[in-house]
Amino acid sequence: MLRQAIVTFFIILIFIALAFGLVNLQVFHGVKYRQLSEKNCIRLFPQKGSRGKIIDRDGRVIVANRLSYDVLILPQNAKQREALLLKLSHLLGADYKDLKKAYREGLVSVSVPVTVARNINYKKAIALEELKFELPGMIIQPNPVREYFYGGLASHVLGYLNEIDRWRLTKLEDYGYKTKDIVGFGGVEEKYDYYLRQEEGGLSVEVDHRGRQVRLLGFRPPINGKDIQLTIDLRVQKIAENKLGKRKGSVILMEPFTGEIIAMASGPGFNPEVFIDKQNSTISELFNNTDAPLLNRAIGCAYAPGSIFKSIIALAGLQERKINANTTYICQGKVLVGKKEFACWSTHGAQDLNSAIAHSCNSYFYKTGLLLGGDEIANYSSKFGLGKPTGFDLSYEIGGLLPSPLWKRLNKFQKWFDGDTANFSIGQGDLLVTPLQMARMTAVFANDGFLVTPHIVKSIAGKSPGNYSKKNHPLNFKQQNLDLVKQGFKSVVSLSSGTGNVLSGLGVEVAGKTGTAQAPPGQPHAWFVGYFPYKGSKLVICVFLEHGGPGYYSCVVAKEIIEEMSKEGLFNEA
Amino acid sequence: MRHNFFILIIALLIASIGIISIYSSTYQKEGNLWQEIYKRQILWVLLGLFCFLFVSNMDYRRLWDWTYFLYAACLFLLLLVFILGAIRLGAQRWLKFAWFNFQPSEFAKICLAIFLARYFSKKSVNDISLLSYKFGIFRGIILPFIFVAIPVGLIIEQPDLGSGLMIVFLFIAMLYLTNVRLRYIMIFLAIMLIPVPFMWHFLRDYQKERLLVFLNPNIDPLGAGYTVIQSKIAIGSGIIFGKGWLSGTQGQLHFLPESHTDFIFASFGEEWGFFGCAVLLLLYYLLVQQGLRIAKRTNDDFGKLLAYGISLMLGIQVFINVAMNMGLAPVVGVPLPLMSYGGSSVLVTFISLGILTSIERKRAVF
Repeated sequence: MLRQAIVTFFIILIFIALAFGLVNLQVFHGVKYRQLSEKNCIRLFPQKGSRGKIIDRDGRVIVANRLSYDVLILPQNAKQREALLLKLSHLLGADYKDLKKAYREGLVSVSVPVTVARNINYKKAIALEELKFELPGMIIQPNPVREYFYGGLASHVLGYLNEIDRWRLTKLEDYGYKTKDIVGFGGVEEKYDYYLRQEEGGLSVEVDHRGRQVRLLGFRPPINGKDIQLTIDLRVQKIAENKLGKRKGSVILMEPFTGEIIAMASGPGFNPEVFIDKQNSTISELFNNTDAPLLNRAIGCAYAPGSIFKSIIALAGLQERKINANTTYICQGKVLVGKKEFACWSTHGAQDLNSAIAHSCNSYFYKTGLLLGGDEIANYSSKFGLGKPTGFDLSYEIGGLLPSPLWKRLNKFQKWFDGDTANFSIGQGDLLVTPLQMARMTAVFANDGFLVTPHIVKSIAGKSPGNYSKKNHPLNFKQQNLDLVKQGFKSVVSLSSGTGNVLSGLGVEVAGKTGTAQAPPGQPHAWFVGYFPYKGSKLVICVFLEHGGPGYYSCVVAKEIIEEMSKEGLFNEA
Repeated sequence: MRHNFFILIIALLIASIGIISIYSSTYQKEGNLWQEIYKRQILWVLLGLFCFLFVSNMDYRRLWDWTYFLYAACLFLLLLVFILGAIRLGAQRWLKFAWFNFQPSEFAKICLAIFLARYFSKKSVNDISLLSYKFGIFRGIILPFIFVAIPVGLIIEQPDLGSGLMIVFLFIAMLYLTNVRLRYIMIFLAIMLIPVPFMWHFLRDYQKERLLVFLNPNIDPLGAGYTVIQSKIAIGSGIIFGKGWLSGTQGQLHFLPESHTDFIFASFGEEWGFFGCAVLLLLYYLLVQQGLRIAKRTNDDFGKLLAYGISLMLGIQVFINVAMNMGLAPVVGVPLPLMSYGGSSVLVTFISLGILTSIERKRAVF
């Protein structure tokens, strides 16, 4: 009987054991297992939207997107790292040391995949994907990258894309930016990043044991970035960049009535594609290059304007009735201001306003400037928008420097001398301007007295960006005075003795002003600002060559550009 | 008659839960044939019900007379499996009949229970005391072991380690219950256990894997350990109230293999949670308890032993299956009686319960 009781007891015992097992699994660890079961059957498939395209004024695509494939290694699954890296280096044709270095540097934690190779081509990606089971721990990840259809064309206008840096992250965190986000650096990519950037969406899917989709649990569509249309005309941009060549400097073509930038070139340039491949040597070279190829010289750098500044002096003199059309000075090659001699670049003899502009006679403008005085020149300069940014819609525009007697006292603790006024009058001294400011100044003459706001974005997703439809600001100059200066501009080209005579005979009448700004040490900066055709003034052109020699060289570049444009028939359209 | 009724009610309750779970675990699976499976189970349960009624109204003493015939039939069927058996899931366990597959190893369980009950309840001609008190080591252990070893060997060769071990366990339990000297049983156990380390080499690869995986399921999470891990996830994810009927993801999305047969408990646990499982275990406990009570109250030694054998077998099957579902026992192919899909198991269980009821009914006779 005892044995039977023991057996009965044994049965009770095993059921109690089972009950304990159940409590342990379902009550104590239930939540953990619930999560595991959800992990089993719910998959999230992130879907990346594509970044907005950038197109030119006629709808030609400058930048779009394509899929690139990265090779990642998940350290916790890669049991034999050395062997895996060695195999990858064979398959990719990459250097083993590079891969190893990338792996070592990228390693954060065993559960975070490390990117060892970027931007491998489609065929290699497929080949690697097929070997997935032989190479445990390897992940091939497709991700959309920028595709630049014209290489480095308009690179300064476009900017480039890169992983967000700490500075931008702190600034943009509140707008939903995260670490490792790819954001724009410089140009339209940075300024309009908020519009261009895509929003990630994704599917959450219930799958069965083979990973087949059973049903859709949720879907958030990815939102593509908005396309941005620039005011740039790609064909003109191409010509401008070709003619600027490898020289340091900038070329700007702008519509004088609207402020639309038709072309904006800056040299030396760079190719934004290098930031996709992460060719580290090339990138560090870009950053360390003393010629600063990443700098947009049209807006990001200020220089002495030299003689092109004389157009402001001329207009100010006329407006203030210090001179009139017939005011004549005799240039003796030098002017004595106080005890100091101020030289002209030549001895021009008797010069009225028209010929003084045409010949860029320093003596004439020393005297006009002295009549006006430093304050008045500064006043007129600021009317032309000097000394502050133009409000152009790209980041990192600087305002240059507009000196005045007050400024000198406040900053240099010195009195303003007549010598300062004389230097100021010919655009030398402390005055610093950006090429874009000069293009804008020229536009005032071309459009008969309106200060425009230059801009480069025509529309965002088909809608005009409201904040840049600023009204042109009327400066209320007398038309008669503007005409006199414009006459002078015309003579610069049309007179055989004019400094810009090289631009004559192009089939289109060009008016403008040359400048040779002394910038020791080294060659002077070469400037040319102008507009064409003289009647109708459809385009303003500003050519600036940093340490490029006398202004003549800029005229040559301008001439080549205008020649090429009319050869391609772009001129009539523009 | 009251107990008679009680056993049937519990059995039918469990069987209904089983049908509901089979329906749920095969739900959403593509193809009509697959979804029909619960209808077949209903058919088996109805058939089982008839068998139960038939057997319970029969005099179980007839089994005493049929013992050797049943034993022979059992051996014959097991041999037939080797010749004609259908191979499914890598094992040759089934005999194909016109429209169903029969699993003789299930049949062997009840046959051997009957056989052992008869063997140990022999009485001497002179007095009415049981012979088993006087059995020496040969008649007490070696001879019955030979009888048990033949079918067990055949079953393990199929291979069906689970059913084989079940019968060995039944044998030991019967030895213990029939007052064979404890000393002999200990010697027998010792002899059985000594070769265990050497047995390792005779195990099939998949059996070795299962044993290793039982010790640590994570050594092969996608291979042999997969089932255990998924089954634990299924049960655990039910938490207190379960995910609800037809809402289990583990079973319906096939993460859990064999979710309608050996792992039906896991898919039930996933959908009904701790409460459901506790109720189910309670039902099983009541069922086994009824069997044990019948055994205790029966005066006829054959009936007593048989009732103990049947109840113990039922209880141990439940234990092994549920423990295996919870990852507490190695994965061996033991169905959950009355719940798991499978005609042989359902029929044999109903017949066993019928025998129990019959024993209870005839109690008064002695």
